[in-house]
Amino acid sequence: MTFIKMTKLTIDNRKVEVESGSTILDAARKLGIDIPTLCFREGFQPSTSCLACVVKIDNRLVSSCATVAREGMEVESETDEVQQARRTALELLLSDHVGDCMAPCHSICPAQMNIPRMIRQIAADKLRDAIITVKEHIPLPAVLGRICPAPCENGCRRRFYDSPVSICLLKRYVADVDLTSEHPYLPSCKPQNGKRVAIVGAGPTGLSAAYYLLQEGYACVLFDEHEKPGGMLQYGVPKDELRRDVLDAEIGLIEKLGAEFRLNITIGEHTSLKSLQSDYDAVLIAVGELKDGNAEQLRIQAPGNRIKVERDTLKTDLKGVFAGGNAIRRRNKISVRSVADGKTAAISIDQYLSGLDVTGPHHPFTVRIGRLAEDEIQRFMVDVSGAGRVMPSSGGALSRHFSDEEARAEAIRCLHCDCRKADNCKLRDYADVYKANPNHYKAERRLFEKYIQHPNVIYEPGKCIDCGLCIQIASEAGEPLGLTFIGRGFDVRVGVPFGRSIAEGLQKAADRCIAACPTGALSFKFEK
Amino acid sequence: MAAVRKIIRISNLKMTEIDLSFIDKIVEKIGRGPEAVIPILQAIQEHYRYLPDEVLQHVCEITQITPAQITGVSTFYSQFRHQPVGKHIINVCHGTACHVKGASSVDDAFRRHLGVSGDDDTDADGLFTIQKVACLGCCTLAPVVQIDLVTYGHLTSEVVPRVLRDFLELQKRDAPQQKREYVIGKQGDYAEIRVGLGSCCVARGSGKVYDAMRQALIDTGVQAVVKRVGCVGMCHQTPLVEVVPPNGPSFLYARVQSADAKQIVLRHFKPKGMARKISYSVSKALENILTDEAWEPVARYSIEVRDPPVAAFLGRQKHIATEHSGHINPTDLEEYLQHDGFKALNRCVNELTPEQLIEEIQNSGLRGRGGAGFPTGMKWSMVRQASEFGIEKSVVSHSEPIVGQVDGISAGERLLKSELKYVICNGDEGDPGAFMDRMLLESYPYRIIEGIAIAAYAVGANEGIFYIRAEYPLALQRVREALSRCEEQGFLGNDILGSGFSLHLRIMEGAGAFVCGEESALLASIEGRRGMPKLRPPYPAESGLYGKPTLVNNVETYALVPWIIRNGADAFAALGTEKSKGTKVFALAGKIARGGLIEVPMGISIREIVEEIGGGVGSDKRFKAVQVGGPSGGCVPAELAHTPVDYEALTAVGAIMGSGGLVVLDDSDCMVEISRYFLEFTQDQSCGKCTYCRIGTRRMLDMLNRLCEGQGKKGDLEELEQLALTVKQGSLCGLGKTAPNPVLSTLKYFRDEYEAHLEKRCPAGKCKALIRYSVTDYCIGCTLCAQHCPTEAIAMTPYQKHEIDADRCLRCGTCKEVCPVDAIIVCS
Repeated sequence: MTFIKMTKLTIDNRKVEVESGSTILDAARKLGIDIPTLCFREGFQPSTSCLACVVKIDNRLVSSCATVAREGMEVESETDEVQQARRTALELLLSDHVGDCMAPCHSICPAQMNIPRMIRQIAADKLRDAIITVKEHIPLPAVLGRICPAPCENGCRRRFYDSPVSICLLKRYVADVDLTSEHPYLPSCKPQNGKRVAIVGAGPTGLSAAYYLLQEGYACVLFDEHEKPGGMLQYGVPKDELRRDVLDAEIGLIEKLGAEFRLNITIGEHTSLKSLQSDYDAVLIAVGELKDGNAEQLRIQAPGNRIKVERDTLKTDLKGVFAGGNAIRRRNKISVRSVADGKTAAISIDQYLSGLDVTGPHHPFTVRIGRLAEDEIQRFMVDVSGAGRVMPSSGGALSRHFSDEEARAEAIRCLHCDCRKADNCKLRDYADVYKANPNHYKAERRLFEKYIQHPNVIYEPGKCIDCGLCIQIASEAGEPLGLTFIGRGFDVRVGVPFGRSIAEGLQKAADRCIAACPTGALSFKFEK
Repeated sequence: MAAVRKIIRISNLKMTEIDLSFIDKIVEKIGRGPEAVIPILQAIQEHYRYLPDEVLQHVCEITQITPAQITGVSTFYSQFRHQPVGKHIINVCHGTACHVKGASSVDDAFRRHLGVSGDDDTDADGLFTIQKVACLGCCTLAPVVQIDLVTYGHLTSEVVPRVLRDFLELQKRDAPQQKREYVIGKQGDYAEIRVGLGSCCVARGSGKVYDAMRQALIDTGVQAVVKRVGCVGMCHQTPLVEVVPPNGPSFLYARVQSADAKQIVLRHFKPKGMARKISYSVSKALENILTDEAWEPVARYSIEVRDPPVAAFLGRQKHIATEHSGHINPTDLEEYLQHDGFKALNRCVNELTPEQLIEEIQNSGLRGRGGAGFPTGMKWSMVRQASEFGIEKSVVSHSEPIVGQVDGISAGERLLKSELKYVICNGDEGDPGAFMDRMLLESYPYRIIEGIAIAAYAVGANEGIFYIRAEYPLALQRVREALSRCEEQGFLGNDILGSGFSLHLRIMEGAGAFVCGEESALLASIEGRRGMPKLRPPYPAESGLYGKPTLVNNVETYALVPWIIRNGADAFAALGTEKSKGTKVFALAGKIARGGLIEVPMGISIREIVEEIGGGVGSDKRFKAVQVGGPSGGCVPAELAHTPVDYEALTAVGAIMGSGGLVVLDDSDCMVEISRYFLEFTQDQSCGKCTYCRIGTRRMLDMLNRLCEGQGKKGDLEELEQLALTVKQGSLCGLGKTAPNPVLSTLKYFRDEYEAHLEKRCPAGKCKALIRYSVTDYCIGCTLCAQHCPTEAIAMTPYQKHEIDADRCLRCGTCKEVCPVDAIIVCS
């Protein structure tokens, strides 16, 4: 019989018993307390470098990942003071972080489409993947590909080198290829949950909301006073800018997903908001720009011809009633924003109908490099085409579009400013949980660096937190050169001995290093 | 064995051959294990003057050292250079004392003069490489630079061109420089002429004085012994010469020049035979004519020990670690033995059990002098009781046949326990403004060896390491010499003094990383790794060097041990306060009349040190604060100068005992700038392991820089304080935990100065961005300022009041220095 010696301690006054020799972190995890750890990895020597995992014992802050629990220890973990210290550690790391979680184009896109990912998929000729990426945020890409003013291209960093990547036309290319294919992409829907949502107005906001609500299993009924759906896309945009067969095809896909249209119906005449409220579980008002008298007709408060909503959730003052699109805004009435509102409303309505707190979409924590230093743009110009913006040769003056070759040639101009590990970064995750302010400590920023000599690996020293896990892994793997810390103190950097490249340093252990890297410092070139 | 290879290197259009056979030889000599990396790198750098990549790669081919290790280590320590350097290296000291006396202006002046700007460090001709060093330990000569082996002190930006000229002339004259051998005279009935040969004295030319004294004796035929002695501590008066007649009072001469030698000899001794005297006076007269030298009466330099200032400097001191200060030749073993040397060790190994010895040390109340003040006896006891197997007592049964049993402990047990333990002397003194360890190692190497040997016996260690900074060449040389003498004479090695106890001591040269003063980083360094600290516990007492129980004590701690054993714990404990016993050695420097190395009884007040021993700050200045404990310590303001030298009392006021730097500040020192200075140092010395220290200290420095540049804004002080407290609480090791102390203590006592900086004022007139120089009506129009201004910010207007162009002005202060009528003022 083996006898296991146990140690009893308390964390935040909760008792816990662990095998002797266990760390405070082990004990906390046993209690279900999530202490943030960046540099610590199970199976490795704790490097106690990030200090995000501090706890307080005997009036001292110690790393919980390496401090052995002792009998009778009283540990403070989730107190304000300890959390503040952890936040400080995260904010200090962020103050020395050079890299964007999301590419500037992605951040600027009202619909938050993941543009760099779409472009990589185009470059790799994975167009089915590309349309999935697009439609995650934009249900009418063929339409927007023709009429969107493309705020994203203003954000494109490539403009500091020559001119922005033609993002809008690339999206149109992806959408057109999909739309003209035999089986255009249709997302899968959850089973019907029996709840019904009334959507007033079948314009871009309403269509978009329906597209996402249907996927969550809600029944959607779209009411519109016109004889055809599409709202201002149908009745406002000139036909030579937007061919109506394209619009109808994209609406057709939403209908195919299960949307029910009740056309030629005016609220206030044929039915009332009140009766929709009682007949449906939730209502979305997406009637487009309000004209004088519209609000009275709807019997809804609209000072200055704008329906008042909560900004993040699009909730109105009325229970179960949401509003979006041009009906709520005075400026920036562009269809991509309406489409974005549709998705926001869908998320809020889903939260509302699931009995959750209505908070709207989660905006993940994001760091930004911001303004570049003089000539810093050159540092982004690695592994990209130096050619100028591709001018599409097909289509009329108002409707130019890319051929396959042109799309590919344009796609390889993208600088891929985004972080490849944006969805798998401990620094980002804990910064989100701890509401860290990345700009808390003002500092002179280091210059951007990116190394791509390795066939599969991207190394961005600006995102490294000096945990040393990759150094340990490379050494254990018997890499002939491996990695090492170079320099000391604030300027310490992980690098390959004798100024050699990452390709030479990591001949065997690259995959393991990437998996262990807590941030986006080491990442795969190609998304798996 | 790798064949001898030659690599042709092409750099700067010059072809250099690198002969790798040298590497094979040094590897053969030093070793091939990972722990050999630092000594190998040091040898390579000494040979090539930098570390060529191809040489490092060759080392990896022929040893167990990996590319990752050699790159990591060689880029961690400041000593190592990866780029070729100029023919001569100018080390500009940026220690605290130098800093407060204008080191940065001197640094700027050198750079300006050599045309070195930006990130460059070498002039266009490749003649000089200029680099900052943390501290040369010559604080009383501040500001100091060292060009190769020549030290220049008391510099101003004004004299920089002269210094360079002088150095180059010296090169022409002395080349090839011969290594001087000093023959030590035998003691007897002869008079002694003692020449101080501590680093401060040497820096001021005492080597030449020594030679001149010997020459003077030969010339005059006077029978006397010229003897070199360790540091007297009166570094403000160096070079010091003491003439000690066989009977009668001794005479002390300060600031002696080699030209004074004959005068001094003639003043005290009659030349042998009149003929010599006549010929001497003739030649002297000739000499005077030839050199056209203004021959000042040497009596000017004479100081009497009874003179009030000297009496005050020496009178309040108590010499224990510095026993026989200024009397004994540092490397003369016989003389050490005549002064009770190794009596304490003999008593310990032959009369006391380790337990009795530890008890004695515990009773003395001795605490670690490295800074933290951990009770020494307790530390020894922990190491004594530690064993790899966690068994605290006897491992070998006493019933077994035992050979050489001493006091109930079997030889077998002693062997088994002790072969697993190490004892280490921490001589990695890196605080800017501190040079106690350097002086002790230079002046009393035998005493420290004896202390280590006693400690090793107490804890049961047979292996020991002297960790000494490579920046202390004289200390290294003397300890090396002392170690080999001790081994020859049986004070070290096997069977010490016939006791059966063995101890082997070796030297490890530190490679320039302040953090290695932290014991876990020091151990990493000895093991051939980057000097990164690790989380404690476990402490070195349980798991130290190579995971074995290890005793790490500071130089001064060991130096106190023999005295305690000889005079008894009670005699030591009778000195000092309730919790701080004995004496403490301080390096006293800064804005003070008499700086130097002092040893004072614990409990003496800061004011007594500053005013009585140090002679105060001078009549036209106001004593503002004392910085105690260097970059880990804090400022004690003048109002709290009654604070006694006591571990707890100093901690209570926000300073720490530290290793013993005391830098006195006056009203011309800006406290914001002082804390910025210290933080710049610690920030630069951070190993970079933990977030709070690596980035936290940098962000604190950013804030302080903004304050000094007048870019601070409301809320910054609170932000700074908050971050300082987090860094202090959360950092992994002592460096980070204490780095915020200078900031926190000045924020506490001098918050008004910080607030003034928020309003873009620097009350002390130090922060360049917040001040301007202007000329008052006292100006006589002599044009000296205009002639010396390095940027032509002052137009030459003879007989008229001069004006300073604020846009061109560098705020270097040269004009203020040269103005004969004090007509230049600083406004904020």
